[in-house]
Amino acid sequence: MIAIIDYKMGNIKSLENAIGFLGCKSCVTNQADIILTADKIILPGVGAFDVAMKNLKKYQIIEPLTKAVFENNIPILGICLGMQLLATLGEENGLTEGLGWINGTVRRFSFDDEKIRIPHIGFNSVDYVDKSPNLFEGLTKGADFYFVHNYRMICEDNADVSSWTYYGEKFVSGVQKGNVFGTQFHPEKSQSNGLKLLKNFISLSRDRVSC
Amino acid sequence: MLKNRLIFTLIYNNGSYMLSRNFRIQTVGDLDWLKENYNFNAIAFSIDELVVLNVERKHKNIDKFSDHLIQLSKNCFLPISAGGGIRSLEDGYKLLNSGVDKLVVNTPIIEQPELVTELARTFGNQCIIASIDCKKEQNNYSVYIQDGSKNTNLTLEEVIKKAEFLGVGEIYLTSMERDGTGQGLDMELIRKASHLTKLPIIASGGVGKYEHFVECIKDGYAVATANIYNFIVDGLIKARQFIQKQGIELATWDYHLTGLQNYFKNNNQVIKNNKTEL
Amino acid sequence: MKEKLKYCTKCVMPSTRPRVTFNAEGVCNACQWAEDKKTAIDWSARWKQLEEFCEKYRSQDGNFDVLLPVSGGKDSCYVSYRIKHDFGMHPLSVSIVPPFTFKIGDKNLDNFIAHGYDCIKIYPNIDISKRIARWAFIEYGQPLMSWIIAVQVAVFKTAINFKIPFIMFGEEGEMEYGGTSKLRNSPFYRREDSIRIYCSNIQATEFLKEYSKKQLYWWLYPSEEEFEKAKLAIAHWSYFESWDPYRNYLVAKEQFGLEERSRPSIGTYTNFAQTDTPIFDLHHYLMYLKFGFGRCSADASIDIRRGALNRDQAVELVRKFDNAYPEPYIDKYLDFFDMTKEEFDAVLDRHANKDLFKKVNGRWTPTFIVE
Repeated sequence: MIAIIDYKMGNIKSLENAIGFLGCKSCVTNQADIILTADKIILPGVGAFDVAMKNLKKYQIIEPLTKAVFENNIPILGICLGMQLLATLGEENGLTEGLGWINGTVRRFSFDDEKIRIPHIGFNSVDYVDKSPNLFEGLTKGADFYFVHNYRMICEDNADVSSWTYYGEKFVSGVQKGNVFGTQFHPEKSQSNGLKLLKNFISLSRDRVSC
Repeated sequence: MLKNRLIFTLIYNNGSYMLSRNFRIQTVGDLDWLKENYNFNAIAFSIDELVVLNVERKHKNIDKFSDHLIQLSKNCFLPISAGGGIRSLEDGYKLLNSGVDKLVVNTPIIEQPELVTELARTFGNQCIIASIDCKKEQNNYSVYIQDGSKNTNLTLEEVIKKAEFLGVGEIYLTSMERDGTGQGLDMELIRKASHLTKLPIIASGGVGKYEHFVECIKDGYAVATANIYNFIVDGLIKARQFIQKQGIELATWDYHLTGLQNYFKNNNQVIKNNKTEL
Repeated sequence: MKEKLKYCTKCVMPSTRPRVTFNAEGVCNACQWAEDKKTAIDWSARWKQLEEFCEKYRSQDGNFDVLLPVSGGKDSCYVSYRIKHDFGMHPLSVSIVPPFTFKIGDKNLDNFIAHGYDCIKIYPNIDISKRIARWAFIEYGQPLMSWIIAVQVAVFKTAINFKIPFIMFGEEGEMEYGGTSKLRNSPFYRREDSIRIYCSNIQATEFLKEYSKKQLYWWLYPSEEEFEKAKLAIAHWSYFESWDPYRNYLVAKEQFGLEERSRPSIGTYTNFAQTDTPIFDLHHYLMYLKFGFGRCSADASIDIRRGALNRDQAVELVRKFDNAYPEPYIDKYLDFFDMTKEEFDAVLDRHANKDLFKKVNGRWTPTFIVE
């Protein structure tokens, strides 16, 4: 059973549809007992970093989530803002501490070239790094996924990066550290490419990842 | 590299889909018609984004619209934008909880600017699309609201700047003269807008045949068509192939979902500790 | 299926269309004309001719100086608007009201009149209308013919009666949609053309056995002598300016507030053309049964020629919409033709082209596929 974290930030329905399409059960929840016993956890997210962290605290999700991921070894996938929250720090609307599971800062895109439009909206190529386990198994390097964001994560340690994408600059489009995974793009909005990635995530065995 | 976007717009009116010609609407059919004549799930796999606009003239019923969107989006795994009739933050939540990713606002930009700002602040600016409907008047473009019925007497420039100021993330720009005519997009309008804003622009109004997509997409704009008749059966798939043949980069993915549907049920995958295999 | 239908390589008109021809590249005459209109015609010279005719006929004594046959639809709105506003003519419009109409048709006509046009509405005797229509439907599969004849005759008689020799019709259908090119270089047409081409040589003189000349007033042509005496100059606007039905529609909407049907017409995807009477729907259905192309084929071909559709988009539309039995109006037809459903279907059976259709579950089903 896949737990989709409900903290009032995100299009949950599409994730439910996607997981259901793949033939799996999901549960939209912020209840500790469900989070702690899920097979996989997905942290969605649309909106602002500071509001998101506030909500995670408000719904008392951080503690059970941390326990689920680091004690119960449950793989977690952060999507879009959900990936950004994995970082140490976010700069949206002032400085806010993130979950701190991936060393990095979330900063707004800023380009000298005026022709590059912000937000970054549309399908873009994702160049994944060979990692094990490979969330991108079965997908070509440079496969297209859907992005819609103004902010992106700058990682301290490139070892944490699972994929790069180019938009005015090379930026981090995916992270992976132990059983913590994140994608800046939306797999549930990325047609069959996204479905394949979600399938790979759900298929992960806990044995094969180590913290 | 960021790819160009081919967008399909469904014009919704109280349970039915419409064809619009210069903002005069003609009933085409309901969701069943769409499924039958479009094999809609297949079409959803050949476009980059879907936009659904509620053009009900008198009272726009957001609850009914939301229910409809839930049905429509069931087997769609692409970005969906919806709007028409968003008059409160609650309306925004309703749509976003119905499978929608981005909200489209038109009349509120002029009549409820505080709402637009609130929506942008709550959901993020990348979640808000400003829909701007224009008619050419003398040497300038005038902006209309309320389903194209009311002239705001404001220029394109004034409204784009306003929308940007209020915090929207994208502009969906429609030429009322070209709408539904199949005469091609008003590129003059689109180019003018692109000089006025740094936000991404979705061009709409006038697409009839495949070539119309190309002339606009090649200049880097996203293109939307609401011409529901011109692309029936697999017309959108063909349009996509045509565009790619002209050397324009569109996103690619596997159009067939071989093996993905019910993957876990079919493979008797039991997701339990230590037991699954990759 | 016998022989494969041959289609124009540009539009979707088939070889079965009466008087259609194809050139060496397989392009039909209507499409060739659409191209010629862009390059081979000196439109400014023709426009000048129109200016000269208007100058010649412009009224000096307060009489009407041009007669406009109108329906209140997009084409008559367009022509009326141009000739009044661009040429300052003083038109009298005349509408021969179809035997039964759509409300939207009535509304559009009244709306047209309300925009300041003098208009005469003629209602030919309904009993005779029905009688002739029934005969033409049964014998020729032409349910509209009674009205078509009445339109031609009533227009000419009105011109003669009101002493308005200059008549301006809208489009010359043969050139525009694939027919004889006899009138390509002629601004005016003659009595003989009217009978032979527009009325397919179907004449109401047949009915003199049953009715008197008086009763058949609106169906019996003025004589050749009367035409001569009145010096009728019967023109088509499409000779003087490149004809564009969609442009007409846009102008009609803008200037007259033309309204469309809320749903597409039967057998097609458009809702703004020929919306005056349900008999059009039957007429198109008969065309479909006789020749294998329906209303959608006609509309899609127009849209291809004006650059709004690719051919393969058109093919999909035609496959979807052409075959459409006008179910909603059957009761109206039965009443009009004074027939039972069995008799009605028997007429359809009689005219259906058995090389192209076969009857499946009571409906004629195509044995061909549009390609």
